[in-house]
Amino acid sequence: MNILVSWLREYVEVPDSPEDLARTMSVRGFSVEGIESSGDGDAIVDFEVTANRPDCMSVVGMAREVATAYNLPLRLPASPAADSGTKEGKDGGVSDGVPGSVIDIRIDDTDRCPRYVGAVVDVHVAPSPAWLQARLQAAGVRPLSNVVDVTNYVLLELGQPMHAFDLTALAGGQIRVRTARPGETLRTLDGQTRAMTTDMLVIADGERATAVAGVMGGGDSEVTPATTTIVLESACFDALSVRRTSKALGLKTEASMRFERGADPNLPLVAMQRAVALLESIGAGTLRGAIIDRYPAPVQSRSLRLRRTRLAEVLGAAVPDGDVRRILRSLDFTAGADDDGWDVGVPTRRVDVTREVDLIEEVARHYGFDRIPVTFPPPAAAPRPLDPRIMRARQLRGVLTGAGFSEAVTFGFVAAAAAAPFAAEDDIVPIANPLSETFAVLRPSALPGLIDGVAHNRRRERRDVRLFEIGARFGRARGESQAVACAWTGLAAPAHVSGTGRDVDFFDMKAVVERVCETMGVTADVTSHTVGWLAPGRSAAAHVGDTRVATFGQLAREIAHTNGLSDDPVYVADIDLDAILRVGAERHIRVEPLPRYPAITRDLSVLLDDTLAAADVRQTIRHAAPATLIHIIEFDRYQGKGIPDAKVSLSLRLTFRSSERTLTDADAQTAMDQVMAALTAAHGAVQR
Amino acid sequence: MPEPVDRATIEALRADFRARLSSSATDRDLQTLNDDFLGRRSGTVTGLLKSLGTVPANARRDIGQLVNTLKREIESAIHDRRAALASSRPPADAVDVTLPAREIPIGRVHPLMRVRQQVEDIFARMGYEVLEGPEVEDDYHNFEALNMPPDHPARDMQDTLYLNAPIAGGTWGAHMDPVPEAQVRAATLLRTHTSAMQIRYMKTFPPPIRIIVPGRVYRRDSLDLSHTPMFQQCEGLVVGPGITLADLKGTFEAMLRELFGDVRVRLRPSFFPYTEPSAEIDISCQSCGGDGCGTCKRTGWIEILGSGMVHPAVLEAVGYDPEQVTGFAFGIGMERVAMLKYGVDDIRLFYENDLRFLEQFPV
Ligand SMILES: [Zn+2]
Repeated sequence: MNILVSWLREYVEVPDSPEDLARTMSVRGFSVEGIESSGDGDAIVDFEVTANRPDCMSVVGMAREVATAYNLPLRLPASPAADSGTKEGKDGGVSDGVPGSVIDIRIDDTDRCPRYVGAVVDVHVAPSPAWLQARLQAAGVRPLSNVVDVTNYVLLELGQPMHAFDLTALAGGQIRVRTARPGETLRTLDGQTRAMTTDMLVIADGERATAVAGVMGGGDSEVTPATTTIVLESACFDALSVRRTSKALGLKTEASMRFERGADPNLPLVAMQRAVALLESIGAGTLRGAIIDRYPAPVQSRSLRLRRTRLAEVLGAAVPDGDVRRILRSLDFTAGADDDGWDVGVPTRRVDVTREVDLIEEVARHYGFDRIPVTFPPPAAAPRPLDPRIMRARQLRGVLTGAGFSEAVTFGFVAAAAAAPFAAEDDIVPIANPLSETFAVLRPSALPGLIDGVAHNRRRERRDVRLFEIGARFGRARGESQAVACAWTGLAAPAHVSGTGRDVDFFDMKAVVERVCETMGVTADVTSHTVGWLAPGRSAAAHVGDTRVATFGQLAREIAHTNGLSDDPVYVADIDLDAILRVGAERHIRVEPLPRYPAITRDLSVLLDDTLAAADVRQTIRHAAPATLIHIIEFDRYQGKGIPDAKVSLSLRLTFRSSERTLTDADAQTAMDQVMAALTAAHGAVQR
Repeated sequence: MPEPVDRATIEALRADFRARLSSSATDRDLQTLNDDFLGRRSGTVTGLLKSLGTVPANARRDIGQLVNTLKREIESAIHDRRAALASSRPPADAVDVTLPAREIPIGRVHPLMRVRQQVEDIFARMGYEVLEGPEVEDDYHNFEALNMPPDHPARDMQDTLYLNAPIAGGTWGAHMDPVPEAQVRAATLLRTHTSAMQIRYMKTFPPPIRIIVPGRVYRRDSLDLSHTPMFQQCEGLVVGPGITLADLKGTFEAMLRELFGDVRVRLRPSFFPYTEPSAEIDISCQSCGGDGCGTCKRTGWIEILGSGMVHPAVLEAVGYDPEQVTGFAFGIGMERVAMLKYGVDDIRLFYENDLRFLEQFPV
């Protein structure tokens, strides 16, 4: 809200410079967005008026706050006293529209329009006097003509939106405040033809809609240089109705912004009297007949109770009674004190004040938050256990950064094309009102974002990239779930003078997946697993029992290519943290006694079919060997010269140990014979 | 003809040798020294021996002895020095310790998470429970229960991203089991704040409570220097008998000084639908010390978080009695804290995941 300081000073004689004024008001609830000095001590101060304070969207409204902040009197603009009732006559008399008026005003929908004040004014349309033009210009409004300028002036001064119709354009001399008829259209002042719906309130004449109530006037009844008689409108429209209409039409105006926040039903008549007085004083026109005031159910001011104890309970400070009274009265509340507190009358413009706590805020605001003491809430109860997810994320961060991965944070939504490879089409969750195609769907995995991060770094000449992200991902079937994603390209072992480096391969990423599982207390079995976003033959899944906890491998070449990552393989993993948490048992740490007898190792080389999985071989060995077998490790896998086609030479080292005695060579030999026999039987293995 | 040999010449040679020996640090230096003094052809001492014939006969014997003594002295000194050098040579398997280390790769925690962990730790030490909640929410928890019924103007303050069809929301806190029936609602939007969790918490636990909820939140904002459509918030709630605005003030004076160091803290009235009174909290600008500069738009203050006393309507919505308990709530943006703490002037840097940026933060 732009406020011209010299205008403000007409109502409150604030001695401060615009800068000091801005500083003072910013700690009273009105942040200052900017100050534009015009020299000569004047300036436009742009006060931020929060959504709950439509009453401050005017010079007088801000002046009331300034007067309270500085403890100065407020002088309201001069206008004739508001006569009420039904009497008809000149000189600002007020009528409820008795027959015989030039204009016939009726409100059909009093819910959407609780009050409509109209006046017929004979005008001489011309430019406004220089002082009026200058003031509008200084406040940032373009002067048009005396009639329109006066409505804008009253809007800025009092905050009451007003509108002027050309009387000759109103069929039947009628104003009907009604909802739009089915299929009704209306050309607004901006030249657009608007299709109205039946829940929108319009100002109509005897035949058709001529203005969108509280939003914008109509082009057909616009005041022109040829206009000789106008009907001035000063009304109160329902906030919700204006808000919905403005939203539906995509039309935000000075008027709609005020009405949709809540208008003062007792302002329209004051504003009308002010406007008529102004028109007459600048020689722009003369009121014909009486001001017509349609106000079937006058709104009374609300009264609230403010308890002295409650004030202190909420603020933690005892505000002196004198300050409470002064602040409330300066803000135009009535405050009658008694032993326990105050009976407070709330001015109808204060649509935001509906409960005791709202009064407490008013007092606190102008008493000064800086005068509230500083205390500390006492301990209340023993804290409840930490969210396991937060501890888990911290552990994973430690483990993964220790493995060389840096943490990425990517957006929760991605382009549909980026998401497509990672979920079935009907499992993707689109955003109804996305900002752009880049952010069109919720991510089914953090991998699209990580791949983008890898590509970003590669474009900046960074060849070795390891990134991870912990966070939510989304699917239509399973909703929101937590995962950790990893991406790795470039070196696994760094180069050094002592030897060349080695690029990442499948087994590096497998180690990462196993490390994450281990961190979370589960041991997973890895099997081959085909999925679209991984390269065939280099894709795997990790399971705990029947539950898949991770999918990982080399990123499919097409996806790598699309992201400009064709040069080197990118290894990726998507680890399902919720699944791991479901299958992971709580860890009870119990140590076992250390072994008392030495271990004995035996090596074995066998020829096998090259499609046979190492896991199957191990399984056979475990079944065949005695319980003293404690460890199996493959240490060589060879294909090529000397090995028949489709065969592989696999070398394994087996370790045996007994907890009861030292094993002998004979024990080992017996075990190895059993193992070899089983391998031959199960897989046709030939010992080498 | 060589110079005649006398005692003075011998003493001069001895002094010369001592000086050169002390500056000989390598085998190569010692070899040169040896050659210069004892070399068969041109060694100076050798030369003296050769020219003994020119010495008068009566002195020849004495001078000869002196020269031989010098020769032995030199031989012995060079030998000793060689031995000393040999004993100080590094062993055959020595390494050049100035070569670069073999790298142990280490990654970095994201600066936003770094800040988040710091904030979590500060509040945890003040006795707050730390928990997370779902990012997809229903309208009731995100808006309605927070005193923002449909068509409330304050909803415009938080331009919301909606899902095109509802999905199941995530779990929250330590509650990995199905949440109570009353809280099972299909999610239709991306949460605009984590305050939705405060409602779930209050509906599950009686007061007193003291929680913070960090996490990702979403707004329909375009990317620019200071806006991203997703950002990291940490919202908190304290409810109990006798909780006051003064408590809020004390909590944040302590909390912000711990986070930012020696700063002044002020509260400024503001508006949020779910708090009353509401306050923005500012810290004194650290760029200018509060005198006013570009960073603080000449005000000397930097807005850091929004807060306020919990609106009684919010307490009523969860079945608390606002006459019995009061509370305060707050929300702080991790981006804003990180930008101020680390001197980042473009918020987008946090979401590019450029390792040149991430690796500027310590391990
Ligand atoms: Zn500054």
